[in-house]
Amino acid sequence: MAKKGPQWIRFLRQYGPIARNDNMYDEHIRRSAARVKLEPLLFKHPIEDELLSLFSETAESPTSVILTGTAGDGKTHLCRQVWQQLGGHSEEWDSDRVYHHIDTTIAGQDFTVHIVRDLTGLPETGESGNFHTKTDLLEFFSYSIFTDDPGSVFLIAANDGQLIDTWARLNQTKDAVDETGRLLEDLLFNDLRRREGKRLTLFNLSRIPSATLFDRALDAFLNHQGWKYCYDEADSETELFGESCPIRRNLELLKQGQVSDRLRALLELCDHNDVHLSIRRILLLLANAVLGFAGNEADGKRVGDRLMKAVDVPRIIASKEVAKASIYNNIFGGNLTEYRRNSLDVFDYLNRFRIGKETSNRFDNLLIYGHADEQLKPYFDELLGADTFYGADDAFLAAQQQYIEGADEDMEVTEQFLDLLVSQRRALFFKIPHAMQDEFSPWDLTVFTFAGEFLDRVIGRLRDGKRVERGVLARLTKGLNRVFIGMLVASDRELLLATGLSGSAAKVSCILEDRISVRQRISEQVEILLDESKMPILRVSFTDSLQVPLRLTLTRFEFLSRVAEGVLPGSFSKECHEDILAFKSRLLTAAKQRRQAIGADDDQMTFRLLELDELGNPLEEVVELDT
Amino acid sequence: MTQLHPDIDLPHNDHQTIRYWVDERLWGHRIWDNQTPWLIFLELAGIAESAHREGSLLDEKGSYYPLLFKPHQRILLRNVLYNNQILPFIVDRYPDDGRAWKEWTTWMKENARGVAKRDFSYLQDRFSGFREFARLISMLRTSTVESESNRRWSSRFLFPFGASCLYEDLNINAANKVSREYINFGRTGELLYLMLCRSSSAKALVSYVERMTTNQNPWNTLVALLQDEDQEHREQRGKSFLPYTSHPVFDVLGEDVLQLFQLNLPGFDGYPHIALLASMHIMLYQMAISSKVLGITRPPIICEIVAPRKTLVRELSINSYQYNSQLSAHAVTAFLDSIASSDEWKQAESSSDAYPRCKTILLDQVVWPRDSDDYDKAHEPGTLIKHLRQSALARHRQHAGNVHRSYGRSVGLISKRGTNKLRYAPNDALLKSLILANVSDRMEFKEFLHRLFVRYGIVIGEREAARSLEESEFDSKVFQSNASRLEQRLSSLGMLRRLSDACAYVLNPYTENTR
Repeated sequence: MAKKGPQWIRFLRQYGPIARNDNMYDEHIRRSAARVKLEPLLFKHPIEDELLSLFSETAESPTSVILTGTAGDGKTHLCRQVWQQLGGHSEEWDSDRVYHHIDTTIAGQDFTVHIVRDLTGLPETGESGNFHTKTDLLEFFSYSIFTDDPGSVFLIAANDGQLIDTWARLNQTKDAVDETGRLLEDLLFNDLRRREGKRLTLFNLSRIPSATLFDRALDAFLNHQGWKYCYDEADSETELFGESCPIRRNLELLKQGQVSDRLRALLELCDHNDVHLSIRRILLLLANAVLGFAGNEADGKRVGDRLMKAVDVPRIIASKEVAKASIYNNIFGGNLTEYRRNSLDVFDYLNRFRIGKETSNRFDNLLIYGHADEQLKPYFDELLGADTFYGADDAFLAAQQQYIEGADEDMEVTEQFLDLLVSQRRALFFKIPHAMQDEFSPWDLTVFTFAGEFLDRVIGRLRDGKRVERGVLARLTKGLNRVFIGMLVASDRELLLATGLSGSAAKVSCILEDRISVRQRISEQVEILLDESKMPILRVSFTDSLQVPLRLTLTRFEFLSRVAEGVLPGSFSKECHEDILAFKSRLLTAAKQRRQAIGADDDQMTFRLLELDELGNPLEEVVELDT
Repeated sequence: MTQLHPDIDLPHNDHQTIRYWVDERLWGHRIWDNQTPWLIFLELAGIAESAHREGSLLDEKGSYYPLLFKPHQRILLRNVLYNNQILPFIVDRYPDDGRAWKEWTTWMKENARGVAKRDFSYLQDRFSGFREFARLISMLRTSTVESESNRRWSSRFLFPFGASCLYEDLNINAANKVSREYINFGRTGELLYLMLCRSSSAKALVSYVERMTTNQNPWNTLVALLQDEDQEHREQRGKSFLPYTSHPVFDVLGEDVLQLFQLNLPGFDGYPHIALLASMHIMLYQMAISSKVLGITRPPIICEIVAPRKTLVRELSINSYQYNSQLSAHAVTAFLDSIASSDEWKQAESSSDAYPRCKTILLDQVVWPRDSDDYDKAHEPGTLIKHLRQSALARHRQHAGNVHRSYGRSVGLISKRGTNKLRYAPNDALLKSLILANVSDRMEFKEFLHRLFVRYGIVIGEREAARSLEESEFDSKVFQSNASRLEQRLSSLGMLRRLSDACAYVLNPYTENTR
């Protein structure tokens, strides 16, 4: 009997970055899993229960459902779950048809459920069952949302861009169509699932946090039966899943927790920067992390798609190229060609952290001189020396030696060493134990040096129901003030709202309009809290009913923190600078509203001019004129 | 080729110095390349202030010519603000308030220019202290429009906080004689005013434009305090000429300005956007008229959203710019050709008194040659028209022909960023203005691109590119990435929200409910 382990590895490659027809992904994976008699990677989708309950007999009231999201978010998969629950036949589903319908009982009433598993895939004519055309179907769907007893509900899966597009093209003069179009836009834009009184529920799968999906995907990945076959069948040290097997090493590193924790942190940060990773991309990331190999061949034999198969393992070990299979590098697509890597958004997103490229003197001293430096040696030994797979191997030490001595001006050797440094920095990001973080912060290896703090001291605390420490808030306040005024002001206990003479967007604003206390003073306050979607916001309260929120994304947090530490706003990022100035403009409008509400006279001839003393403390000079 | 006729008779008697009415006849008197968006806006504001005083704001009352107005000169104010370098020295040297005022008024008495009465003593009563006065002056000076440019003091302008801050461009000669200067206020602001009068939004705009001059705020009051109304002098100006009584460009311009006013941005935050877009519309107006003369539809403006390396879009946008920037010169040639190829001209040419008859035609069309100084070459129709063509083109190249490039650069549509050739590559400020003028709350990204195309001819995405390019030049991929670069840029500027990889909304960052 053929061994199951190698089959599993071969099957797992299908999830990885190989050329494939994306449209039929779900079907394709399932077929090939059936062929090798292995389970595909499966886990319960976060909305699965809620979705299925909407089509059950015990549902509260019947509603149509739109599933939207990007490719690979699990739309087709969820449609099939519903189909199965309703008792539909698998053979019928497996046909290429896009539209299916079935009669059932929902909430005690008889209904026909119409399922369109891919709205764009549905041709205009010939495939819409009893509906004459696709347009008829969509018009009836629109009508059914606003009718009390339509006798039909729909389940439609569509990419949201196509959804909006489709409705824009329908005949807008029909009331229901127009109203549906507006309802869809409203739900999508405001991140809502439903509006009172409308028979429609919209699940935007792109809004499910990547970190949540990662947790589930990782669990399914690590606990797949395929790995058990690999362990059971391993019989030699240099074969698949022997002691020296890099695939096994990668899997075990992922299992250890620290690697997956840091990776999860990166995905969570993506969520906080409005970057969403689909399930398909997360599975691709995992498959590539474990199977990736940074080379076209090993021991003279081709390594297809730069992903390892069972047969490649002994060759890689024999040619001493195990380091090229480093999971740390694979996570960032470092094994792939630049062209391939750039075409995959998951690596694009992860590489925005610039891990491997960013560094500090301390890190580079460790990597370059740590071997010989008395103080750094313990760290070097622990982090690099002890790692027999991806640490400082002979090749690294030789290149390091040559680089330090720099005897010959061979650019190629230097380049090679610099490439090795990139891999090692990536490894360090994952290897630095929690206890060592104060000496070597892994976040110094990213562009977001405050990301660790953002996760621990903002998100973490808020999720635990605690308040964000005063120090963090004070720093953000200082950052805001520096942007608002355009000078190196030091105040961090109140927000200074200042404008220039001619406009609020002036680079230097020294006309003071208002001050807002950070600590609560009557109803005035600045605080950091979570909004309904559990994302952190910074909220400035003028009165109980007049509040201006700013979503605290990772980028904004980093920007404000750095500005507070002395970076000039315009030189960090022009975009961020503009972004915060737009926030100031909203604050100024609110401040004006408050003044108007309490009847303060805006036209009185008082000028509040702002100056700074040598320490950056604001001095206010009030000039009053009689007219 | 269409013969394009002005709707209004050429007012050549009022402008004897214009030798031939070619640029003026096509685009008006005058479309002037050396004027920046801010200066056009200020010129407009000055006219609006005068028209409001006369009770005829944005209303030509059925007569399209002449527009007359009496702008302020505010010589005292300008001396106090810009011809007053002694101020900081006096503050330093004389801590005593009374002494400081005395020294300063004496200095001003000796050094003030262009004023009728050398008396600045009124200021002492209006400010509690000299130091305070000095502080406020230096504060006000920071609001000088385009303060980084190195203009002489009589051509420096204060930010238009209100009526008290508006005045015209002046030249003060060595003999202290004050005259109107047409270099900074080159009349394009007058054209802009006329365009707004003739736009379909004129009525709706009145109350907003009025507020520009009547609005009360501390800064305007402060500036008023610096002046002595008794000494104010005004002279009649005007007689600019906009040849067309209506035009689609005027309407789009009016809509944009109205929309920007209606956003009610805090303070004066709307002004820069109005200034930018108004200048862009003047540039588009020139393109539209040129195209009409050439008998073509207005060519598209292919924009590159700056890419890190050279792309096909960059090449196309360079070509598009090169073609469009020559459009007005082609129009001049085509216009003169159309005269030479007209039946009237041909008949005249073949008659026995060819030269005088052809001369009459030209006099009628372009008011040239009026006397013997104007033309001293052979009295022969062919030479006559050839000479006109050459000199009209040469004159065109000096100013009107540069409008496309010069306005395009100053509004941020045209740049060399990342390359050595000029091309269309809109900067962030312009994009922001376009969003504010077109998106009142939110708008689907593709719809936004479509709107930019319909209203301004701007091509960024693939759909619009497909409609405006030859098949051989069109490549959907490169325009897709062009559009997605725009998407990323807007998103990082907080003016776009992406729902998924296929769906994004452009946001007006000032509207509350978009966050």
